[in-house]
Amino acid sequence: MDMTRQQTLKQQVTLLELVDRVLNKGVVLSGDITLSVANVDLVYVGLRVLLSSVATLEEQREQISATGAAR
Amino acid sequence: MTAATASLNRNDLGWYLYGVAAADEASASTSLAEGVAEAVELVAEGPLVGVASRVSLAEFDETTLPERLRDAVWLEQNIRAHEQVLERVLEDVSVLPCRFCTVYRNEAELRRFLAERRDVLQAALDRVHGMVEVGVKAFIDRDRFAAGRAKHNDVIRQLESQVSAAEGGRGYMERRRLEQLVASELEGFRGEAAGRIHTRLVAVAEDGLPLALQPPELSRREEEMVFNGAYLVPAERGNFEAELASLAEDLRDQGIDLELTGPWPAYNFVPEELGAEWT
Repeated sequence: MDMTRQQTLKQQVTLLELVDRVLNKGVVLSGDITLSVANVDLVYVGLRVLLSSVATLEEQREQISATGAAR
Repeated sequence: MTAATASLNRNDLGWYLYGVAAADEASASTSLAEGVAEAVELVAEGPLVGVASRVSLAEFDETTLPERLRDAVWLEQNIRAHEQVLERVLEDVSVLPCRFCTVYRNEAELRRFLAERRDVLQAALDRVHGMVEVGVKAFIDRDRFAAGRAKHNDVIRQLESQVSAAEGGRGYMERRRLEQLVASELEGFRGEAAGRIHTRLVAVAEDGLPLALQPPELSRREEEMVFNGAYLVPAERGNFEAELASLAEDLRDQGIDLELTGPWPAYNFVPEELGAEWT
């Protein structure tokens, strides 16, 4: 796999990929403040909202550029 | 929680811990010493350093955190910031990543953690020394899968030619038969493909494990995900990528596309005693 492709893949890393790692994996600590299971569920709910709003935004942008291109 | 924390001063600062690195490695890196990012500090305790920054405890307090987590903008910013700090560290030294929102009330508590869990943290760091995590996902394109099957399966090939020759009601029946046949072939192929991918990749990695498949509404891909895995590989990962490319070549005709992500800090290779899964 060449460097350009690697770069592109790297840039395409979705928020989901991140969330799956930073919320569910890694060093968990005892004591002080850490995320509770309930909070993690909350994040996934928020993530769905976030992703659907991103999708809507993208669709709108595509529509706008499509209309723009047609002119 | 103690009574003292209930009356949090708005301005009280705690420590947000991104990850843990080896002190000798971190001090040898001049760029890390110059600062990873704004406000990120290295808190040295014995042979370990905590990569941390001061944060407002009020922002991360148990009572206000759920509210923040519901705020999509706050969430995305903070998750990305967490990862960016760790990626920056990972460019220079090996690091054990912490879970998102790991906060200590004060420096003494952070140091106590580093001191108390020193041995297990060090062993875990040794294991990921010079290593990074990469993610590999496989998606299947149904049309290419069907075309690939037709090459080796006489029944499918025959049906396909009948479908293109047949007209009207008979054509419909033949098409349905073909679809059912492809679907049942696909049923068995999913697991078989996942097994083949993992076996070949884990052979060229230090370690690897299959992860849960991502639901399509979150992966936002039309193709179905058939495999999701994480691999621990040397930071210089030419071998692994060569095998991945050859695997992708072998599987392309069967409708499989492979996607590589990373390098990531070794989130999936933190030992169980430090990072148990949610139960």
